[in-house]
Amino acid sequence: MEKRNIKAWDKVRARGGIAILITAAAFMLMISGLQQTYARKQIRKGLEKTAEMELIIKTLNIKSVLESVESALNNHAWEIEQLLPYPDSLFGLTQRLVEQNPTLDGCCIAMVPDYYPEKGRLFEPYTIRRDSGIETYQLGSEEHDYSTNLVFIETIEQDTSVWSEPYPNPEEPDVTLVTHTHPIHDKTGKVVGSIGVDLNTEWLGSILNSRHLYPSSYNLLLSEEGHLICGPDAETVNPQEVDMMVALLNDSTCSQNVSTSGRFHTLNFNNKENGSKGFVYSMSPGALNSWRLAVVNYKDEVFQPLKSLRWRNLLLTLVGLLVFAFIIQRSAHNLNKLEKANLEKERIDNELNIAKNIQMDMLPKAEQKASREDVDIYGSLVPAKIVGGDLYDHFIRDEKLFFCIGDVSGKGVPAALVMAVVHTLFRSISAHESHPGRIMHILNENACQGNDTNMFVTFFIGVLDLPTGKLRYCNAGHNGPFIVGNSIRILPAKANLPLGVVDDMVYVAQEEILAPNEALFLYTDGVTEAKNSQHEQFDMTRLEKTLMGLVVEGAITPKHLIDKVNEQVNAFVQDAEQSDDLTMLAIQYTRKAKDIIFQDTLTISNKLSEITRLNTFVISAADALHLEMGLTSKLKLAVEEAVVNIIDYAYPSGTDGTIEIHFEADSDCLRFLITDTGSEFDPTSVSKADTTLSVEDRPIGGLGVFLVRNLMDNINYERLGGKNILRLEKRYKQ
Amino acid sequence: MNTNITEMDGKYVVELEGELDTAHALEVEEAMQPLHEVSGKAITIDCTKLEYIASSGLRILLGLLKSAKAKDNKVVLKNLNDDIKEVFKMTGFIDLFVIE
Repeated sequence: MEKRNIKAWDKVRARGGIAILITAAAFMLMISGLQQTYARKQIRKGLEKTAEMELIIKTLNIKSVLESVESALNNHAWEIEQLLPYPDSLFGLTQRLVEQNPTLDGCCIAMVPDYYPEKGRLFEPYTIRRDSGIETYQLGSEEHDYSTNLVFIETIEQDTSVWSEPYPNPEEPDVTLVTHTHPIHDKTGKVVGSIGVDLNTEWLGSILNSRHLYPSSYNLLLSEEGHLICGPDAETVNPQEVDMMVALLNDSTCSQNVSTSGRFHTLNFNNKENGSKGFVYSMSPGALNSWRLAVVNYKDEVFQPLKSLRWRNLLLTLVGLLVFAFIIQRSAHNLNKLEKANLEKERIDNELNIAKNIQMDMLPKAEQKASREDVDIYGSLVPAKIVGGDLYDHFIRDEKLFFCIGDVSGKGVPAALVMAVVHTLFRSISAHESHPGRIMHILNENACQGNDTNMFVTFFIGVLDLPTGKLRYCNAGHNGPFIVGNSIRILPAKANLPLGVVDDMVYVAQEEILAPNEALFLYTDGVTEAKNSQHEQFDMTRLEKTLMGLVVEGAITPKHLIDKVNEQVNAFVQDAEQSDDLTMLAIQYTRKAKDIIFQDTLTISNKLSEITRLNTFVISAADALHLEMGLTSKLKLAVEEAVVNIIDYAYPSGTDGTIEIHFEADSDCLRFLITDTGSEFDPTSVSKADTTLSVEDRPIGGLGVFLVRNLMDNINYERLGGKNILRLEKRYKQ
Repeated sequence: MNTNITEMDGKYVVELEGELDTAHALEVEEAMQPLHEVSGKAITIDCTKLEYIASSGLRILLGLLKSAKAKDNKVVLKNLNDDIKEVFKMTGFIDLFVIE
């Protein structure tokens, strides 16, 4: 039952553990997810800032190139003015400009048509940088009519500098050029032509693609009308990808995030064809002729650190969960162990409680004590542990009160076991043995047998003859009891050795007469050695004082004695832990002699023929008291059987002796005292006849004592002054 | 104390008269000795006039019963007075004997 419960409980707990684990895992994953989202946001924010910075820096770099171009033109503006009257000198000018500025691929001066009539309608000195070297020639012709060129027209008409849209170099189609055109004024300030320089966008490219945030990132530079001025090399980025990006940037239907400054645009892209995803940041810095600069960043690179972080997070989560699971498992295991230990302890406690009940049941019951007038008995045992090694017992057999008190060395279960054995032995031995010395001797022999644990028992046995008040006692190392009467005194008990020490120890019994109303107070050293929290002992002085106080009060009934001592000990000990079993037994002899209303005595010799006289004596005594026939018959039979036993057993055959039969009666009790001078013979120690046997098994004889016991109420034997005294009592009604 | 033994219709009848106390036990035992030898005949002990019996008397009856049982004889007790019946009950003899 218990085992099944444990298993079921284990399952529940295992489920609980798993549930906790799952919750923890979900929680940790959630946290890690939130972290990722937050980190992405932060990275994007950071990226935006960085991209903006990058674009601004690159804008500045590009601007510096463009400005160098513009300033080259500005620097030569006055020279052109000076050279206007000499058209041929203009060739030298364009040549010098290209030579002096390595960023320039070409330079041309285009005059308004017919400005130099001698040079024809179109005059356009032109210098071009070729691999073979720099060449200068007249470019303008009817085939190459620059006057229809929109840039030329705009420059002349608007009288302003213009940057052209990018266009392929007519000489090298792979190279894209942009042209910066500046108006030329004559001395009157009238616009007479334009000068333009071709900027090779490779120059810009080297700036644009010089440094990137991510390896695959690249920049794009778009013209005002959205044409690509400059992008990455075809080797590094697929031109189709670049085209797509340009188209995206020019697509006005694309939703773009605009920064607070209004210059900075963010665009997400997701190319389903090649699976690339990313962000494009673009800005149109006014400084760059309405050109647009963009940077493309790919998501997988942007969030690369996050990716590795995610794996690391996942790994850490896993490790954390494993550690957590381990802790749960260990704590469940420990809990299990604890619980098992608790169950085990509970079981032991239960068993100890049962043992305690058994032990307490072995003590005489209160109700067994009350029924007699001639003796009052009260006992108390408070074990220090659940079970203890103290014991007391008392019972009445054949008008004798057998009692004992003992203290087994040690405490707890071992002491309790020894105590149970001693107790049982005491009961069984004294069922047939009335002599305390002999009882003690047999107990000691048994206690010494196989006493490997060297336990010993201090023990006191008393046998109080209730009709006479004669106390026979024998001590084995126990505290001498008190006699409490008009005063208190300690019963002079020889100490002797405790039981279980020396197996051939001779225990001699001692005798004392208890006066009516005197009480005997027996105790174990748990009383005198009871300790308070200051480690002081209750000791003999306090015990004597307590008992003496009761004597003065005149309250010496056993219950008074024991309750008072208990009370005093408890008051003394207070909260200190009880260190030893606390056991007391008190016996008060309360016999009251009653008036004898009739008595008679017969003396016979130890012969069977005397039985007739005996029977006549009994009948005449019964007649004197007017007893009914049935009772008379019983008395006659009992006395005859008792006397026949004495004749048969107390006198060896051939010896002569006398037997005195004294009959007396008080108001409610008849009594025969049969005294003989024969050898010691205690009929009360004869074991009971078995009346249930079959004819074949039934022994002839052995019924005498059995009949006496059954016919009379009490039977009592005493050996006094070399005589056997058998006392038979029967209650009657007059 | 009288012990009369008569043989009638193939049965023995023992008539006990008086008080069977220990003082008289020996003479009764001797008087009944021949009955221990009887075989095949029932023995009836008539106790109508028996006033008292002690354990010594019970012993005689038990001895006779043991002999009779050994020879497959029946022993019947008749007319026990109340006091004696009480003793028989007390000692368990009431279960050993056939009592009429």
